Amino acid sequence: MEFEWIKIPYSLLTLFIVINFGLLLTALIQKIGARVGRRHGIPIYQNYIDLIKNYAIRSSITHGFMFYLGPVFRLSGGVGLLLFVPTIYGSEMFSNLSFAGDLILALYFVFFGALGMALGAGESGHPHAAIGVSRGLSQMTAAELPFALAVFSVALQYQTLSVTDIVAAQQGGVLNWTLFTNPFAVTAAMFSFLGSMMRPPFDVVLAPQEIPIGPPTEYHSSYLALMQTNRVIFPVAKIVIYMNLFFGGAASWPVFFLKVFLIYMVSVFVGVAFPRFRVEQSIRWFLIWAMPLGILAIVLV
Amino acid sequence: MVNAIFIIATGLGTAFLLGLLKDEWRTAAYGITLAALALMSWIAASWVAALAWGGAATVDIFTAGTEPPFAINLRMGLPEAVLTLLVNLASLLAAVYLRDTMFKQGRRAMAVLLIFAMALCGIILTRDLFNLFVFFELTVISTGGLILLSRDKRALGAGFKYLIASQVISILLLVGIIFSYHATGTLNIDGMASMSAQLLQGGSLAFFLMFIAIVAELKPFPANGWALDIYESAHPAFSAMLSAAAGSAALFAVDKLLLIGGTQWLPVATAIGIVSFIGANLFALAQNVDRRTLGYSSIAQIGLVLTVLGQRDILGDSYLYIAGGILLAHAISKAGLYWLSGLVEGRELTAWTALRGRPLLIFAFVTFLALLIGLPPFPGFYAKWDLIHTLAAQDRIMLLTLILFGALIEAGYLFRWFGYVIKREQTTERVACTPHKVAVVYGAVIAGWTAAYLWGNLSPHGNLLHTLPLLFALGFLLLEWLPVWIKNTIAIIGLVAWFILGFPDYDPLQLIFAAVILIGGALILLSSYHVQGRRIGFYPSAMLMYAGLAMLITADDSFSFFAAWESLTVGSYFLILRGKHSEPHALSYIIFSLGGAFLILAGFALASQGVMDFQLQALGQVTEPLSAWVFMLLAIGFMTKTAAIGVHIWLPGAHAEAETDVSPMVSGILLKAGLFGLFMLLMNMGKQQLYGIELTHVMLWIGALSALLGNLMAIFQEDAKRLLAYSSIGQMGYALFGLAMMNHLGWLMALMFVINHYIYKSMLFLSVGGIAKRTGTREMYRMGGLITLMPLSFIAVLIGIIAVSGVPPLSGFGGRWIFYNAIMTADHRLPMIIIFLAGPIAFLYLFRLIHTIFLGQLKDEHRRLKEAPFWLILPQMIYVACLLIFAVVPGMALRHVDSYLNQFFPNHGLNWEGLTITSSFGYWSPISIMLVIGTIFATVLAWLLFVNRKAQKVKQFNMVFAAERPYRPETTHYAWNFFAPYRKALGFLTQPLVTRFWEALTDLLHSLAELLRRFYCGNGQTYAIHLLGFVVVVYLLKVGL
Amino acid sequence: MSYIAMTTGFILILIGFYGALTNRNILRMIIAFTVANTGVNLVLVAVGYMRGRTAPILDAAVPVTEAAARIIDPIPQALVLTAIVIGVGVTALMLAFVYKLYATRGSLDISNYTELKW
Repeated sequence: MEFEWIKIPYSLLTLFIVINFGLLLTALIQKIGARVGRRHGIPIYQNYIDLIKNYAIRSSITHGFMFYLGPVFRLSGGVGLLLFVPTIYGSEMFSNLSFAGDLILALYFVFFGALGMALGAGESGHPHAAIGVSRGLSQMTAAELPFALAVFSVALQYQTLSVTDIVAAQQGGVLNWTLFTNPFAVTAAMFSFLGSMMRPPFDVVLAPQEIPIGPPTEYHSSYLALMQTNRVIFPVAKIVIYMNLFFGGAASWPVFFLKVFLIYMVSVFVGVAFPRFRVEQSIRWFLIWAMPLGILAIVLV
Repeated sequence: MVNAIFIIATGLGTAFLLGLLKDEWRTAAYGITLAALALMSWIAASWVAALAWGGAATVDIFTAGTEPPFAINLRMGLPEAVLTLLVNLASLLAAVYLRDTMFKQGRRAMAVLLIFAMALCGIILTRDLFNLFVFFELTVISTGGLILLSRDKRALGAGFKYLIASQVISILLLVGIIFSYHATGTLNIDGMASMSAQLLQGGSLAFFLMFIAIVAELKPFPANGWALDIYESAHPAFSAMLSAAAGSAALFAVDKLLLIGGTQWLPVATAIGIVSFIGANLFALAQNVDRRTLGYSSIAQIGLVLTVLGQRDILGDSYLYIAGGILLAHAISKAGLYWLSGLVEGRELTAWTALRGRPLLIFAFVTFLALLIGLPPFPGFYAKWDLIHTLAAQDRIMLLTLILFGALIEAGYLFRWFGYVIKREQTTERVACTPHKVAVVYGAVIAGWTAAYLWGNLSPHGNLLHTLPLLFALGFLLLEWLPVWIKNTIAIIGLVAWFILGFPDYDPLQLIFAAVILIGGALILLSSYHVQGRRIGFYPSAMLMYAGLAMLITADDSFSFFAAWESLTVGSYFLILRGKHSEPHALSYIIFSLGGAFLILAGFALASQGVMDFQLQALGQVTEPLSAWVFMLLAIGFMTKTAAIGVHIWLPGAHAEAETDVSPMVSGILLKAGLFGLFMLLMNMGKQQLYGIELTHVMLWIGALSALLGNLMAIFQEDAKRLLAYSSIGQMGYALFGLAMMNHLGWLMALMFVINHYIYKSMLFLSVGGIAKRTGTREMYRMGGLITLMPLSFIAVLIGIIAVSGVPPLSGFGGRWIFYNAIMTADHRLPMIIIFLAGPIAFLYLFRLIHTIFLGQLKDEHRRLKEAPFWLILPQMIYVACLLIFAVVPGMALRHVDSYLNQFFPNHGLNWEGLTITSSFGYWSPISIMLVIGTIFATVLAWLLFVNRKAQKVKQFNMVFAAERPYRPETTHYAWNFFAPYRKALGFLTQPLVTRFWEALTDLLHSLAELLRRFYCGNGQTYAIHLLGFVVVVYLLKVGL
Repeated sequence: MSYIAMTTGFILILIGFYGALTNRNILRMIIAFTVANTGVNLVLVAVGYMRGRTAPILDAAVPVTEAAARIIDPIPQALVLTAIVIGVGVTALMLAFVYKLYATRGSLDISNYTELKW
């Protein structure tokens, strides 16, 4: 895979589609969540309004250099993650910038935004931000473990680290999906997925009651807007990886939309049904329930 | 050539002559004494010269004009010449040292001193048993007299105890001699030796009595309470003679008796020797009185030489070289130390802090300790190497283990003492600097270095004092008077020049290590420009370490490898010890390192099987089942240096407490020595199995556990440098893991870690060091908000942590990518789980590092801080550039190594064609990644700048804080116990079990020593019972055997 | 005869040791050692003794040519002389120590001189 200039507009197209899809998707998910709680919920276009409003707010302050860069890191992380992974299988157009690196690149680039964001939040000097970061990082270390094991297992299973090749290996029927060929890995990864979606029971990072919304506490106006942009891209980008690794990828946009939605719904189903864990509880939960599955996956593959 | 009998004649004659002088003519008497001793020394020296270099042969001197057995004969051979020279020189120096005392006591004391020297020479020269007895008794009597020179009132009691013991000994000796004579009809030692079979058959008890009496003169443990008391209370000049000269003479007497006893009695000598060596060293652990410690050490060293005497059946030609090396090192160092002790007022070990103001005396002290411990380039080092090799070749493994164990204990208490001297609060008492005493001490120093040179020349392995790097390092001793910036420049030039010189000969692997060590070392040294003044002691230590490292990577044979290893260990110890509070940590570092070094020594010895010139490549030809043991010993030895879990406890303190520019040296560079060793080991030996367990598999687990626990412990540290230190344990765990995978990419990853860890850990240590310098604390929660005040340090730390964490686009990611590709072909999957767990934990401590220092709330007392000094920032900025460059073009360094590794693992190499690096499983294009991320980042930033162009900078406390306004940074800065929930969840993993284990072990040794030394109750009568009991027990054991 | 001498010698040595190890008084210890020394000397002489021979003095009674066959072994005799001299020297030195010890501390009990230990 080589770089061609045409990839840039194609990638921007992907980005455009995903942003819009993400804006609608997150609103829809929020609405579903509200309906489960017998509330009316936001209109489906609410995210557009928020975004425009936040970008337009004129009053803005900064706590310093890193505070400024935090959201930039965050959004770059989201966009980069999306673009380093091919979105649509078999489509040269939507293979994005995946020539730059394989699965491992995506896996580690997830942390780029988180790290930058944590730094920016830190410079705000707000203790809630720091507490949120401390919780988030703590939880992440445990939550990422089953996923890493699952990825290793899948890579071993298909003997490749290239996302495209992994998707290719799952073609030819639903039963070829990793979900069925390597169920332990997928289960472990889905547990990990719950941990990274910022929904109950693993949303103590943003805990609105104790540490009002955690790391982004001090962010407002266009900073917040950047982060909101990221908040619609990032889950989709992450789900794309899951979809490609475990659920056969997507050969066309409709399939893509459907699969992303369904995978997202997993965390919603769990989230609306369970209360919140404390950090140490969630760490133990991941180590006790999710990690053994991951171990099984790499032992059995 | 002057007849050797004149040594005795001069001594005896002058002693009588002194009796004729008037008591008032003290100066004359003193002059005559010195002249006599000088003459005796000169005669001995001329014999040494003639026998060693002049080609002269051993000479027998017949007295009374008759040949033995009808008259006494003396013999002058090389050992005799060297020993008489030693005795006479020691006595001469002692006489100089005792000048004031001699003037006070008058000619009688001088006569006694002469008799003492003469008697010792007699013991050495004579070949007649009864004559031996006479000289021993003369020694006893003159010892009794010389003990009285001491100002210490307790010496009187000690002297009497000594006389009691010597009475017992002389009775045993006489009875033994007469019955041996009865059995053989001769008193001549050689005559008796030729009839030894007859003697040993009929009169084995007679021989035993003689033998044990002479051995008892060596003050063997545990029948030696009286000797310790003398060592403690006598005049130090006399203790020096007793330990150095009398000990050597008595040892030579034992050697002569063993001629008679033959191989049958060698094991007895060995057993007594090794028990003395270990027992006395153990007891010395619990001592805090200097001269008594030295006494224990003397007994131990003489025990060691006795052990060597017991090995004469296997040592062959090198017998004299080995025994002589250890004996000479002991004699010079012990004499020197006793003489030094005379300059120090207090008797506590800590009272020696008085030496601190005098760099030359400190150098003397270091020289003596190094001599005693047997560090390169001193004779003990060569001797120990040959000894251990011979023992290993002859399967005397038990003895080998015991010797190394004893040596480790000895190094432990000696280095502890050195730590006290350098680090403890200085006493108000000054050193008594009488020039003649100091001159005597320097005389011993010169003798020590001369011996080092001679032994090096005699060594078949080549003289370490001829190696350029070592000489360069030692040369800094002469430059100590220069200011730092000159020495620093010379040092940097030296490192770079050595790299350029060696450049054409390095293979790619060596080149990577050489670049990290030499160029990297020069880079770190840039930061040393920030120090003002002369910085005495820094450059010799640092350069010794670098010399060791530079020699390590080019070493071909096991000897030069080991010598380099020891040099770098010692150099780095001195370097680490320089930190303000690093005394206990430096001690634990040197003990672990020496322990590791001894394992390496044992490993090489086992592998070589007696081949003295053992090439490292020959490690591959070691056969089963020996090879597995060799592998294990070497691997554990190297792993102590990389601080693998279990032997890691020295690292955090040592790295954290070291000076600002030393931390990066010992962390960024020194740790790589262990990795290099492991590379060398695995390259030559490959996979090994012990009882069906694959040892590389075990290493895999050790590496993984080190990575996990190192990272885990790092996140709970409040001290920034400790955090970095623990992180090093984790990082080295990764590298170890990569190596142990035993595949192409695993090794490549380990190499990547070598480079990366050097760059980012050096950089982080420098930044944190600079910050600690400015803030005056290393506790991170006391800092905060420093980003605006120290932006450059911040940038360095930021880049550093991105690189460490492995987040793209910086070079850490390359390491992770190679890691994932490597584990795809690894044989064992379970250890990966631990590595996977360890990975993200790194984020925790890294974030904590940058957050609690630079972000959050600025403290009031820090508001006027400046950026770190220029010379600390400069290398950091260079590192930032290096990291960026290495991130974009990792192939520059790695592709050559990659192809070099093909000869070990032909499969699964990387393909470096074009911009994209591809493996069998995936691909990675560093330049594209950098460009893509850079573009996205720049675009988003531009967008934010556009929409947010009017952003207003607000004050520190201007933030949304539930209904109140914070006003104290301390209460608002969330920093202390940052990962409290994590501690709740996984804190149990960081229980200091390993630390407790090692502490329990050392405590056990100390309590044992504390308890058992009460055996020396101080009662002379009990000591006599000990002595008799010792005789009986040895006899029973001997008969029982 | 020589056996009696030798046995006596050994008994004296043992008595000497016993005395030296059981008496706390320093002077008694010294005397015990001299007893033991005497025993040693006796043993020395006894070893050299040969039945029916004469003293190793070469004079008119014992011509040089017959000496080897008629005299006892002269060496132990010579040794004894030296040993006695040395014994006297050591004993004198010990007594000198006792004198000084008593002068400084006023005690002759060996168990009082245990300030140096461990």
